[in-house]
Amino acid sequence: MSAPRDIIQRALSEGRRKLLEHEALEIIRLYGAPVAEAALAKTPEEAGELAAKIGFPVVLKVVSPDISHKSDVGGVVIGVRSREEAVEKAKQMLATVSERAHGARITGILVQKMAPPGLEVIVGGLRDAVFGPVVMFGLGGIFVEVLKDVSFRVAPITIEDAYEMMSEIKAAKLLEGYRGSPPVDKESIAKVILAAARLLEENPEIESLDLNPVIAYPDKALVVDARVILRK
Amino acid sequence: MLEKFFNPRSVAIIGATVKEGKVGRVIVENFKKRFPGKIFPVNPKYEEVLGLKCYKSVKDIPEPVDLVVIVVPAPVVPTVLREAGEKGVKAAIIISGGFRETGTEEGRRLEEEVARIAREYGIRVIGPNCLGVYDAWSGVDTFFLPDEKMRRPPRGPISFVSQSGAFASALLDWMAYYNIGVSKAISYGNKIDVDDVDLLSYLEKDESTRLIIMYIEAIKPGRGRLFMETARRVAASKPIVVYKAGKTSRGGKAAASHTAALAGNYNVYRAAFKQSGIIEAESFDEIMDLSKVLLSQPLMRGRRVYVVTDAGGVGVMLTDALTREGFEMPTTPPELKEELRSILPPHCIVENPIDLTGDADDERYRVVLERLLPKSYVDAVIVVALPQIPGMSFRLVDYIHDLWSRYRKPLLAISIGSEEAVKFKEALEAKGIPVYESPERAARALKALYIYSQYKIRSGAEK
Repeated sequence: MSAPRDIIQRALSEGRRKLLEHEALEIIRLYGAPVAEAALAKTPEEAGELAAKIGFPVVLKVVSPDISHKSDVGGVVIGVRSREEAVEKAKQMLATVSERAHGARITGILVQKMAPPGLEVIVGGLRDAVFGPVVMFGLGGIFVEVLKDVSFRVAPITIEDAYEMMSEIKAAKLLEGYRGSPPVDKESIAKVILAAARLLEENPEIESLDLNPVIAYPDKALVVDARVILRK
Repeated sequence: MLEKFFNPRSVAIIGATVKEGKVGRVIVENFKKRFPGKIFPVNPKYEEVLGLKCYKSVKDIPEPVDLVVIVVPAPVVPTVLREAGEKGVKAAIIISGGFRETGTEEGRRLEEEVARIAREYGIRVIGPNCLGVYDAWSGVDTFFLPDEKMRRPPRGPISFVSQSGAFASALLDWMAYYNIGVSKAISYGNKIDVDDVDLLSYLEKDESTRLIIMYIEAIKPGRGRLFMETARRVAASKPIVVYKAGKTSRGGKAAASHTAALAGNYNVYRAAFKQSGIIEAESFDEIMDLSKVLLSQPLMRGRRVYVVTDAGGVGVMLTDALTREGFEMPTTPPELKEELRSILPPHCIVENPIDLTGDADDERYRVVLERLLPKSYVDAVIVVALPQIPGMSFRLVDYIHDLWSRYRKPLLAISIGSEEAVKFKEALEAKGIPVYESPERAARALKALYIYSQYKIRSGAEK
């Protein structure tokens, strides 16, 4: 795969303000964040092959510079359990998408290892007009949407800063485990936060990013969805 | 670099006037009262202003001018600033309003022109649209509010920097009323040149400043990191207390990402303050609550607090407040219990809080504090001394002060009530013990001291 600079340059040269999802996942992985295993297929047949290689279950996601809400146009299929199903579902998905998002360019199909349920957290980053690169941490779902329970740091940050961000949110106790569940792997989450900070620091073309969700487990954390916006 | 704003040998006031109640007159009066250097009024309409020879232009002044104070209407400012530049002046305080803050095209254009002229001649500028500088030591005073309306505080260790002029003058007046000493106050208004970063760097070196208060609405775009870097360095030697105005989120605006929508403006400022060792005051009351503890108390090494009280109820309130702020209140170890039992009447409670009860007297406080303060498991003590009880007198002030000076641990007091409580507070504060009127305010102040102490210990400034 390409280096971070190449990924950004390619997007800019194609006039895109947003990285495609496989690019966004790749760029954050290159900065050391643990990312759910994924690969881009050009055809339904290739999607089947890649799915078999990655291992089941997988998720299929349409990759298109023209579609920002994939599930609204039928561009996401979860829980695919065999090679044949992957080929079949990929075909169906492409048909539905071209019907609902008429004329949208299709880059390919992202085949991603389906992450089991865990604690959903969000890591974000933006370029503030006053302070420059800033990173954010919060828990997924209502914690962010309703309670706005998030913490921020101005980059560059240290690993201690990343741990502080996790302990600062009001719902921090959920990271320690509850109702008998063990604590999540904070070191892994810290790696995601540090990757987000460095990504912004070293690539002035990036305006903001959302890693949402990052799913945290007792032994790891995985970036499942990534959105990277470039500057105008 | 900013020295000429605070310690000029000569000052020219451009727009000086004899008209009563005018800004150009109040400023001349201010300088006449307290400034020992040379004062040159400038105004083509007068030969003389308040007994001083008046000049038609700053260029006519036969001697060097270190600082000009400009109070002429905005459209004339570029002309007089250029003349100051030609004269070789390197520092200008532009009091006049009528620039970008008006939101007009003309205002913006004038401001840009002024900035251009300043750059061209290498003049440093404070303002425009500001009150400028009040320096209790040098006598520089461009606050155009007459003495009888805004009292001037005595000389002291606090300096403050404010984007808002009204806030600066209200705070000065308030500090004068409470006899709180000030070193320098700077209101920088539109800050076309001198800003928070420059002023922090200057105050870092200023020997008469021991604590810096800042009122910030917004830091200039792109200056945030330098601000943090500077604050980090300054905070290692002098506490910085910031009040951030404009806290409400602009998250309602359409933002390109989730994170941007959540960030708003204030959340990022808060993070930046925290990362830079800055102590944030969350309300106006807190500005002075936090400042007085930071100025007077030694570093707090850990989070263990003991409470000594004559009022059980206030002890409980304080326990709640301290716990909420994350402090620990150790339980009294057996040997201290025994020690205290041997010197206190049996009805006193020797847990934490130590309750000396309503029949306490000065002596009872003294013997307890004497045993408590040296203990290794005590990082700070809060003394609740409600003066309504019959056994207490002003001798307690000396007792507390003597023990505090001997053991050098953070010590705060709480006193609630009317005249007697206020007198008690004033007496203690005069000796360097901060006093609070509520348990919650005392707990918040102690928290600020704890956070600052940890910053200072971590930054290696103090071992």
